[in-house]
Amino acid sequence: MPKKDPQRLLPLKSHWFHIMLALAGGEQHGYGIMQDVRNRTAGKVRLWPATLYGSLKRLIEAELIEESDERPAPELDDARRRYYRLTAFGRRVLDAECDRLQELVRSIRVKQAMVTE
Amino acid sequence: MNFALRIYRWLAEAFPHEFKLVYGADILQLGENVIDEIARRHGVAGLIPLIADIAIRVPAEYLSEMRRDLRYAARALVKSPGFALVGIVSLGIGMGVTTMLYNSKLQLISRDLPAAANAKRLVMAEKPVSYYYIEQYRDQKTLFTGVAALQTGIPFNVTFENDLNSRPERVFGQLVSADYFSVLGVRPQRGRVLNAGVDKPGDAPVVVISDRFWRNRLDSSPDAVGQTLRVNGQPATIVGITPKNFNGALGVNPAELFVPVTAPAALAPELTNDVLDQRNAKEFLAIMCLAPGVSMESAEAGLDAVTHRLDDQNSSAQTRTGKGRRVTLLLAGGMVPLPRNLKSVLIGFFAALMALIMTIACMNLANMLLARGANRRKELAIRLAIGASRFRLMRQMMSEGILLSLLGGIAGFPLAYGLSILKSKFTPPMAVPVEPESAPDWHAAIFVFALAIVCGIGFSLAPALRAAKADVAPALKEGSALQLPGYRRFGLRNLLMVAQVTGSLMLLLITGFLVMGMSKTSSIQTRFDPATMYLLSIDPARNGYTPEKAQAFFERLPERLKTAGAVRSVALAAQAPFPIQDEDDALQLTSDASRVQIAAVEETVGAGYFAALSEPMLAGREFEEPDQRSPADGSKALPAVLSESAARGFFGNGNAVGERVRDDKQSYEVVGVVNDLRKDIGISQSVVYLPLTRRNFARPPADGVTIMARSDAGTDALDAIRRQIAFIDPSLPIFNVRTLSEYLERSRSSERFAVDTYGGIGVFGLVLAAIGLAGVTAYAVAQRRKEIGIRMALGARKGQVLRLVLREGAAVVAAGTVLGFLGAIAMVKILSSLTSVFVSAFNVATNDLRLVVGAPLLLAALAMLACYIPARRSAQIDPLKALREE
Repeated sequence: MPKKDPQRLLPLKSHWFHIMLALAGGEQHGYGIMQDVRNRTAGKVRLWPATLYGSLKRLIEAELIEESDERPAPELDDARRRYYRLTAFGRRVLDAECDRLQELVRSIRVKQAMVTE
Repeated sequence: MNFALRIYRWLAEAFPHEFKLVYGADILQLGENVIDEIARRHGVAGLIPLIADIAIRVPAEYLSEMRRDLRYAARALVKSPGFALVGIVSLGIGMGVTTMLYNSKLQLISRDLPAAANAKRLVMAEKPVSYYYIEQYRDQKTLFTGVAALQTGIPFNVTFENDLNSRPERVFGQLVSADYFSVLGVRPQRGRVLNAGVDKPGDAPVVVISDRFWRNRLDSSPDAVGQTLRVNGQPATIVGITPKNFNGALGVNPAELFVPVTAPAALAPELTNDVLDQRNAKEFLAIMCLAPGVSMESAEAGLDAVTHRLDDQNSSAQTRTGKGRRVTLLLAGGMVPLPRNLKSVLIGFFAALMALIMTIACMNLANMLLARGANRRKELAIRLAIGASRFRLMRQMMSEGILLSLLGGIAGFPLAYGLSILKSKFTPPMAVPVEPESAPDWHAAIFVFALAIVCGIGFSLAPALRAAKADVAPALKEGSALQLPGYRRFGLRNLLMVAQVTGSLMLLLITGFLVMGMSKTSSIQTRFDPATMYLLSIDPARNGYTPEKAQAFFERLPERLKTAGAVRSVALAAQAPFPIQDEDDALQLTSDASRVQIAAVEETVGAGYFAALSEPMLAGREFEEPDQRSPADGSKALPAVLSESAARGFFGNGNAVGERVRDDKQSYEVVGVVNDLRKDIGISQSVVYLPLTRRNFARPPADGVTIMARSDAGTDALDAIRRQIAFIDPSLPIFNVRTLSEYLERSRSSERFAVDTYGGIGVFGLVLAAIGLAGVTAYAVAQRRKEIGIRMALGARKGQVLRLVLREGAAVVAAGTVLGFLGAIAMVKILSSLTSVFVSAFNVATNDLRLVVGAPLLLAALAMLACYIPARRSAQIDPLKALREE
């Protein structure tokens, strides 16, 4: 498969970005992703179940995330739950998106500084 | 909350199968987990976004699946470009022709009159009546909410006040009673429309203009209302503009100007002689709006009774019609007035024709897809084995069908567009302008789209169902040749083929009947080069000429024109030569001596007419200038020239000259006999030629008085003629300028176009049927490969094998031919019994052995050829190879 260019997927859709960010810390199941996003954004971004799984499906198709076959300790695990994690490519895309956003924030700061002066 | 959970579960169940397989359980579980929590925190209102989210995602998932299906289908089509091309071309032709039919015929028949609120309730009397009758009809308040009078197709010479030096423009309009607009239910877009309460006889002349007039001739000027026009030389004020797209009742003949019948007679020659008060001047069409709850039948019966009573009171009216029906009502709420039962018959006929064409195209595609399905069995089996649902496979097959069909539609729409443009170039010359057929618009585009979807599903259904039944194990077997379902003599495919042959033959026969019925025209043979005769029209009465002045003008004109250099002979006529006339308008003539009655169509021609056409008189003389001064008021016998067939009809082989014939108004003295000028084109009408008189000069027909001027070959006399007319009166507009050959060419072109189109449709069906048959035979050969191998191994000869394969094709063709023949005959009978429109065309053609025997033979021969080509392959089967496979 030819090496894909992360830049071609930028800017990421907001849902995708939040899901990938949630997975940046390690693998998660759907409910975990939902909780993580809600907590991180203080409830401002809510991923409802159908949107969440629709996005997961597309992220898998875009090879940004994959299902993980590693499972946590059996007593913590619900056998029905699927766990997801970032692929190597997904990680590169997420990095690129973060860089893009940081660049954006930097230029906003410069402008703000000019305004406040 | 339980309720919300139920909805959530139900929606989660509705996801597409593949999606549900992977994520269904998770979504369900997650939903159940959060639903409690949300309800606790935010109450029931908090659940709304949750439900809304899933309600949006379900169709979104289906769309995404569909996109994927289509992408896959596109790849599959690209992989077999030959199949795709044949499919797109045949569907494209089918849809193009169907869309053209829909656009030109069905829309014309079924669309309501634009901007007329009462369109559904409008009816009109078939025959014109006098204004007095219409006033009596108005009293039938229980039947009608209103009755208006109109005369349509009236030319007006219009000059714009601010541009007095310009030549008048010739504009067609209607003379209408003041209640016309309220009867139709038409409101003005600016100003006011005519109104029975406001517009009275003796008022200063006013006109209402159409939106088209306002846009094209007044540049949509905001001050148009209140402006003064000169109409036929008289000033008239514009009081209002009709709404967009409204071109008068009888929308096929667009009207741009609406002049009230109460206007002074100087405004329109049609209003002279106090025509409103003449009980016998049957010149007005009555259009009425049915009262609520009144059916057309009861209105017709009521109106008939009134008309009978009026006819009886009117002692001077010759009641030749006797006791029969005197009033027939037509539906008037559409673009064309139609008898009420004809409308549904016509819609049915065109719908059936369209369905037939599309059925043939779809049958063909279905067959090709079935054959392909057999070749793709392995691919489908693999997909089934790795977990695709059967429904998914069906959807896949249908997506391919729909994609193909949409591509066909994309090809078909421009075809329909091109055809309609082409068709508009082939309009025959008409005295009154005819609304050009509109090019296919968004209605037609939606129609094509819907048609494509329906057809796509239609023709891929059978192959899709079969694909879903595929058996996984044998198809997957390593090294196996394709396992085909057992050979069945009367399988689905053979039934489809019989249906296709049947449909093609029906199409071929019906279109053939129409073609032969219509193509009774070959061409008119003139005795001189028709390119050397110019036809021009003028209409001085509408330039404000009095009858006396007009007559003087026309008496001077031929002499004047002959002084123009190249002009050799000149004649005048009230119509262009060799017209095709409706038998319904024929005069009923009775001979004084023999009491024989014949119907003869009337042509009004001036002095020297036959000489100008180089037609010798068979007996007697032709019209001379003194004949043009005859009073045409019934006081004296008018001179008349008879065509040969009319003369023979009256007087056998005896001498006709000097005899007298009469109709109910006038008696005529036969002064001459000429050849039947139109027998070249297969029309054997009797013709009576009457002289142009002052009446014609004062009130010419809608296309004016035609000047026929012949010049010497190779010289262009047109400029000289124009100069001479301008010399007499520079302000006189000259219109309809053309050579006789152009005119003859155009008169036949629309028929020729129709013949070509219908013929094309028939041939198209034939070709499609042949392609389909070839496909089926090829498939049958593949299917019976092993059987043939065994037979050959046992000593069957090639000829025997070929016969075996062809026998099936022959059975299909024979069955289809018989059924198609019977079907076509049945359809002709049904159509003929429903309406008289097709009867004459069908009568001519059904007696024609060339078609009745030839078409089935042609189809059968072509079909057998189509079978033979792939069947030859059966003889090339190598028995060793065929037996080793498995």
